[in-house]
Parts: sequence; structure tokens; C-alpha cells
Amino acid sequence: MTTAVLPRALSVPSWVRTARGALLKIATAAIVLVAAASITFFAQLLVPGDRATAILNQQTGRAQQYTTAELAPVNAQFGFDRPLISQYLDYVTGLFRGDLGTSYTQHRPVTEIIGDQIGPSLVLTAAALVTAWVLAVGITLLTVKRRRAVSALGSTWEALTASLPPYWIGVVLLVVFAVQLRIFPVIGETSARGTVLPVLTLAIPLAGFLGQVTRDEFEKVLDQPFITTARTRGMSDTAVRLRHALRHSVVPAITLSGWALGALLSGAVIAENVFGRPGIGQVLVTAVNTRDVPTVSGIVLVVAGVYVIANLVVDLAYTVVDPRLRAS
Amino acid sequence: MRIRHVVAAASGALLVASLAACGGGAAASGGGEKVQGGTIVYGHEQEPPCIFGGWVQQAYISRNILDSVVTMADDGSIKPWLATAWKISDDGLTYTFTLKPGVKFTDGTALDAQAVADNFAYWEKGGNSTAKVSIDPYFKAARAIDATHLEVTLNKPYLPLLQMISQAYFGIQSPTALKRSDQLNCEDPIGSGAFKVQEWKHGQEVVLTKNPDYTSWPATAKHEGPAIVDTVRWKFLNDAVSRYSSLATGETNVIYDVPTVNWKDAKTKYDVQQYITPGKPVSIYLNTVNGIFTDKSVRQAFAYGADRKAAVEAAFHGVIPYEGNPSVSQSTPGYNASVAGAYAFDQPKANELLDQAGWTTRDAAGYRTKDGKQLAVKFTYPAGSVFTTEGATVLQILQQQWKQVGFNVTLIPETQAETFAGKYSGPKAYDAQPWYWTSPSSAILWIVWRPDTKESPNGSNSAFYNNDQLSTVIQAGNSAATTEEANAKYAEAQQIIQDNAPAVGLYTQTTSIASARNLHDVWLEKSQGEPVFADAYFTK
Repeated sequence: MTTAVLPRALSVPSWVRTARGALLKIATAAIVLVAAASITFFAQLLVPGDRATAILNQQTGRAQQYTTAELAPVNAQFGFDRPLISQYLDYVTGLFRGDLGTSYTQHRPVTEIIGDQIGPSLVLTAAALVTAWVLAVGITLLTVKRRRAVSALGSTWEALTASLPPYWIGVVLLVVFAVQLRIFPVIGETSARGTVLPVLTLAIPLAGFLGQVTRDEFEKVLDQPFITTARTRGMSDTAVRLRHALRHSVVPAITLSGWALGALLSGAVIAENVFGRPGIGQVLVTAVNTRDVPTVSGIVLVVAGVYVIANLVVDLAYTVVDPRLRAS
Repeated sequence: MRIRHVVAAASGALLVASLAACGGGAAASGGGEKVQGGTIVYGHEQEPPCIFGGWVQQAYISRNILDSVVTMADDGSIKPWLATAWKISDDGLTYTFTLKPGVKFTDGTALDAQAVADNFAYWEKGGNSTAKVSIDPYFKAARAIDATHLEVTLNKPYLPLLQMISQAYFGIQSPTALKRSDQLNCEDPIGSGAFKVQEWKHGQEVVLTKNPDYTSWPATAKHEGPAIVDTVRWKFLNDAVSRYSSLATGETNVIYDVPTVNWKDAKTKYDVQQYITPGKPVSIYLNTVNGIFTDKSVRQAFAYGADRKAAVEAAFHGVIPYEGNPSVSQSTPGYNASVAGAYAFDQPKANELLDQAGWTTRDAAGYRTKDGKQLAVKFTYPAGSVFTTEGATVLQILQQQWKQVGFNVTLIPETQAETFAGKYSGPKAYDAQPWYWTSPSSAILWIVWRPDTKESPNGSNSAFYNNDQLSTVIQAGNSAATTEEANAKYAEAQQIIQDNAPAVGLYTQTTSIASARNLHDVWLEKSQGEPVFADAYFTK
């Protein structure tokens, strides 16, 4: 008798299952982050060249080799003379205390360096992604499966913008809108007006890219029987596009957005440079150049974190777009 | 030593040119009424990791915060700064400096002889490695005789000592402040200068605010008293197109390094100043211990084989001068102009030398060979950091001409990370590699060409060229009793280097500034070309 009841008594309430699922997700995310930081840590130690040499050369603007005696004080100062494994363990245990180490070149805590720069980067990234979506969806809706010339115009625009180098776009925007028309500043920094051109610099090629995948999907969807059904019910073309076709065709673009968010964050350096904008893109490039291992690892960790969060958001977005996923 | 960092791609060049058609709104005409106060917005290029250090990118900004013991005037003579006078003993071994009394650092610490002595000790124990190599192994000790008298003693006479310590690497910091954390000394060095650091917005700008109690301006200053403007916003604008554009839109008042394509345009709209860096020019080190360049005639053939002068003029739009002297640049005291003309473009001569050296056969591709080995040159260059895209263009032009005489030159751009990490630094890493080294004295010869021995290694000798005669001559110059005698020895050393061709000249390291016409008296300091803002003022 009891045996028949037991499974029921032991069966887990649904909130526990949800919590367990959430915990599992958090644990997985933590593992992903630590793995990302660890791989970056070791990858940087594996590339040829020695950290102490890089620090000395960076201090003096030289590119030379040093003797063991010349390197010894630097090795001692930064603890490079300790076994690699203990350097690594120190680093990883630091991560769990929220300590990302201290920059070799700026002598500041990495958390402070990232904290200073992450705000403008996130604003730029998020705004670029939203703008890219608006441009991509707008152009797709207006031009897909229209008259031949209109469709061709839309797909040419997408192919063109997707392949333009962002640096070139940035400089063209700068010359036209900041220098000639004087609508926006050259040195944008973090002001709202100054953010417009950097956002467009990143959003235009991304919009082309997202537009291309959305258009392909859109064209396929518009040939589906359920679209024909909807049209025979007397639905207008605009309603068909907005209510039925769009929902299906944005799924690949949503998937790509998770990737795009991370790529925008770490690849923003071009827009940052052209418009004199602070951000972790610039810091990352400098840190890689100077072999500032803790700073590079810290930024990789943050970017990995953004990827993790972005993918969670993408998962959520699927359920919004596709009702079938909500049932399960 | 300085490195320029250029993220901008060459594709910007055409667009830069198009800027010439517009802009110029901020360039109000000068000659109006002088304004007290105001903010100078300065568009610099690269952001340094710290404000004080041994890299010229740090010297640029620290020059405006820290005062030095002496300074260099435009004619190359040494003038008083923190030291009002100095005496050199007859044996050249003891320098006694009399310091300006009553000078205080901005943290209130007294700037006395002991403070200066403490700074010498700080540089020597690694506080500034460029300062250290500039005075080693001559420097012995510095001690305070009393509050205003400092004695610096040397191991051997070193005539260029005063020139060397006029560089901003030798800026004097508060000894009290130096006891703070590395982070604070990195971000906010405390000096006695015309400005102090108010805030460093990393990735954007350093805000410098005027030191209202400034009393210790150099003899070369253009006015007496604290800075005229209240604030300097020292912005980091890596991209050349946007830096130059920011001057046109009035977002900056003065910028560093006008792109050479814009030079003509800038001259018509702004006040421009060009600075030809003294020291070692941009010249190509040839590896004298490994590979084809161990043979002197092959090195000389390499120098004759390509029209370096024409390539420099073409790539830099005629703005930056060619420098045929590989060891000392034309703006350096003690420059030997006569050696600069050697190895003028002469391909028949190059062919003759290569034939004599036994490189007589050619392979299918037209490259010379000897005993089955090709006349191949692994040519690495620090792309982006030392070599701008224009510099790389020079190399590409030369590569084609070297091919004509039978050299197979492979150009390998180094990333900045590889450069700093020393990937291309050893005697096995390259056959040829261009570099420069800024220095206000021909004593740069000693830093670069001092023999690299087991007992006394010299990593700066990038041609790995040990020549005892050369070493003796340079040391005789360094320890000479008079400038004339020193210059004669330095000239001889430059001749020895040119004759043996361990390096081949290219061009002078050249920087510039352009300022709006309502901004006056921004000047470039002589020893390294840092912009000085202490005397600058606006007119209405």
C-alpha cells in the first residue's frame, strides 16, 4: 500500500522542478564563464613571448629582449615567477570573490576598468541591435515580394550594407553628418546626440545581415499554404505580412541576435575609435596589444556573460514568437 | 622612445582628402583681445597606460604636470628650470645644481635638493627605465648638499648629461606622493608643474586643471606666472580622420599629428608646427650576426638597391623629410650631414656588389641565389605602433625595387602584441627591421650601438652589431671636454656606422600640431616635441 503512495509523496512539486532547472541553468552559466576566463588565461600564456618582456617594452616603447637579471624584478613584482598552476588557482578563486585581478599596465583593479567602460558599451550595443532590427524589419516588410524593382532594391541594399566595412561607414557618416551638415558631433563621447552616429555605424551592416536572413525566410513563408488560406479569408496584404509571415520569418534573425549582441560588444572598437567614444572595445584592443592578461580575461568574462544572458533572452523570445513552445 | 598607434585604416585617406573641401569654422582669426582663463580642448592620439613613464606617450602629458631640473632651448642650449644655475667640476665628474628656493609640489611637499635626489634614486631602481638607460652607466649618485644645492656625481665624464635630463622622463615628482600606491602614481603623478590632474576619464580624456600657485616655470617659458587658461582637456582621438575633423568643427582647439594628406589644407586654415624628432631616425636595422646581412657588401647593396628618398617623398606627400643617416637624425645636435648622402640610389652599384659577394645566379623568379640559397630578406616591421600605413607604403615601394636587383624581400607586419612581447626581437627573428628612438642628444649612439656582450648586454642594439672601435669613439664623444670635441667624435661614429651599413636610413620621425587661430602660444618643447600649454591663451 505504502509503495503505491510513496512515489506520489516523493514526487517533486512543480516549483521545485522550476527552481532546480533555474539552479542548473545558473550553474551551467557559471561553469561557462569560468571556462571562458580559464581558456583566455591559458591561451594568453601560450602565445609566444613573455609577459615581463611585454611589460618592460610597453613601459619604454621598445621591442627588445632582456636578460634574466633585467626581467627578475618584474617577474617578482607580478608573481610570474610562481608556478603557473598557483597563478591560475589564485585567479580562479579571485573570480568567485568578484576579484578579476589587477591590470599589469594601469595598476588598477580590472573590475574598476571594466566598470568604467561597460556602461557606454552596453548602451551602444543595445541601441545598435534595436536600430538594426528596426531597419531590417522595416526594409524587409516594405520590399519583400513586391514589384521586381522594389524587391531588387531591398535585397541589393541589404547585400551592400552587410558587406560594407564598418570603419568606412563610420568615416562616411562622420564626414557627412558631423563635418558637412554639423548635425551630430565628431567627438560623440557618451552624450545622446553623440551616440547616434556610432550606433548607425554598427547598426547599418548588422541590419543588412539580419535583413538578408529575414528576407529569405519571409519569401519562403509567403509561399506557404497557410498564407494562401489567410489571403482567401480576405485578409489584407499588410495584415498577412504583419500577423502571419513576419512572426515566422524573424526566428532565424532572433537566433542571430544572440550572437550579434556579443559580437557588437567586443567589436565596437571601430565605432568607438572614430567617434572618440569610451568603451570596453578600445580597452580590449589595448589590453590584447599589451598582453595585459587580467584585463583581457576580465573582458572576455564579461562578454561571455553577455552571451549567456543574450541566449537566455533569445530562448524567451522564441516562446513569445512561437506559441507552440509555450505549451511545452 | 615613442610609438605612435594608428588604428585607422588606409581607406580613410581619400575621405580625409574630401574634408579639405569643408570645415574651418573654428579657425577664428588671431590678433584679438587676450582672454584670461578658458578651456583648451586638445585632441591627442594615443592614451598611455599611465601618465608618468618611459614612453614618449607618457612624456607628452607628464611634461605639463612635472617640472624638470633643466630644459632645452630651441637652439639646443640648456637653460634653467628648477635649477637656476649649475657648475661642472673640471674633471667633468661632479655637477652641482642650485635649485630655485621655495618651490612646492602640488601636495604641499617642498621641492628641495633631497626631493630631486630621491627622484634620481627612483629612476635608477626602475621608476623610469628610459631615464635609467639615458644616464647609465655614467650616473653614480645624487645627494642633497643643503636644501637648495644638489650634487650629481658620475663614474665617467658624460657631457650629454644635461641634454638627457631635459627630457620629460626626468620630471620631478613629490617623494611623499611616490610612496602612494602604484595606481595613484600611475593616474595622478604629483609634480610642481603648471597643471595637475583633475580627473582621468579612461577612454576619453584627462582633465588637467591649472596649478594656481605655480612658481617654477622654465627659462624658455613665453610668460611668467601660472597658466593662463584654467583647464586643458586632453582628449584621446585615435582616429586621424576624426581628429582632424574635430578641429574643423571647433570641438577641439588644437590637435596632435595632422595627417600628411591634410598638411597643405591645415597650413591654410590653422597655425601648424612640425617637429622633427631628434635621436635615431626611422632606419632599418640589418641583422649582422645571422643570415645574408652578415656580409657587409650585401648590406651596402641593399642600401644602394632602392630609391629610398623618392619612396619617402611619395608615401608621405612630401611632408616628412627623408633621412639618409641611419644613426642620428638631422635635428639632433652633433648630426653629421655629410654621411647622409651615402648610398644614393644606384642599382648598377648594388648589382656589382652582389656579384662580388658571390650572389651571381638567379632563380626562375629572378631572385639572386648563391650555392642554391636564395637572397631572401625576412623584413619584419612593427605595424600600427611604429609604422603608420604611410610608412608601410614606403616599404612596399622599396620591396619592388629590391626585387629588381635580386633581393626577395618578404614584408612581415608585426602586431603590437607581438612587438611588445618580443616575438620579433632576437637575432634569429629577422634579417631587417625598422625602428626609431627619440633622444635630444647624439649620445643616442651609445644607447643603440653599445656592444652587446655577456657581461654587459645591450638589448637595444637591434642590428646585433658589435664594433669595438665604434664603441671607443662614441665613449670618447660622451666623455669629451667640450661640445666641439664631442661632436667631432659623434660625427666619426656616424661615419663608421654608415661605412659598415648595419642600418639603412629612411625618414625622420616627425610629428605636428595644428591649432585654431584664436589660440596662441602653444609651443613644442625642444627635447622631445611635447606640446606645452602653460603659456597658451585665447583671443576674443
